[in-house]
Amino acid sequence: MDKIYDKPELIFADLPVGKTFRPLDYPVSEELVQQFMETVGDRHPLYWDEGSAQRTHLRSPIAPPGLAAIYARLSYLQDHTMPSGGVLAKQEFDFHKAVYIGDTLKVKAKVMESYLDEKGRKRVTFLIEAENQKSQPISTVRLYAIWPK
Amino acid sequence: MLKSVKAGDPLSSIEKQIDQDMIMRWAKLSGDFNRLHVDPEYARQTSFKGTIAHGPMSLAFLNELMMQCFEAGWAVGGKLLDVRFVAPIRPGDRIRIGGKIKEVQKKEEKYSVECDLSIEKQNGEKVVMGRAIGLLPGEEK
Repeated sequence: MDKIYDKPELIFADLPVGKTFRPLDYPVSEELVQQFMETVGDRHPLYWDEGSAQRTHLRSPIAPPGLAAIYARLSYLQDHTMPSGGVLAKQEFDFHKAVYIGDTLKVKAKVMESYLDEKGRKRVTFLIEAENQKSQPISTVRLYAIWPK
Repeated sequence: MLKSVKAGDPLSSIEKQIDQDMIMRWAKLSGDFNRLHVDPEYARQTSFKGTIAHGPMSLAFLNELMMQCFEAGWAVGGKLLDVRFVAPIRPGDRIRIGGKIKEVQKKEEKYSVECDLSIEKQNGEKVVMGRAIGLLPGEEK
């Protein structure tokens, strides 16, 4: 993953209600899953053990659901960087279908709310929806942020 | 996986030791190289007085706990709700990811289990709070 310092900042004025972002293509490779497991320390057998996966309705190893925390954020920051001082206030996830190693997700983000709260803070709510290469819904993420500028 | 559950039962917990190396690895994995996370000298000059872990890393920890509890019933049908980031996690912190069962409901052939979740520092300070709903197969009860 390249550093993103050279991208322009995504500022509040660029986040009106209804704004959409170009869809993120997110390939889920075995290498990515391995890197995730090593970084987080989460080595659940369903991510790597064929036998464990076959004993469930999943049938083969899956990607960690926690990857959604990464692709959700990337979906609105492909062409921008986050200004310093932002706060991730709240986040919610619905997992509809498992992600399998080798899948390529298409992740779409949309601004659902953009307003100044009673304290004058810049509030932005994103709805982020991911689907797999068969157009099957994978996850829905709601991300509530306080924007710095 | 959870076998027998009732409201009030504690979940098994996970402990993590956070260090700057782990934060750097998350930056590489996620592409989030915000200086508040990766540049100790810069971060010392901010109101945080030092680097802090990325918020989404905490979401990965909560997902790890839920996968331990619900396995396939988390990956398909799991919901992480109202997760709030109350305080920063810093290098050197030892954190505990845990929770307890709030409510169990039978839904068709499955059990829907609602849990309160939290991440606490070694001093008991809660840094992340939220709820989750996972599914257990009926025959497991």
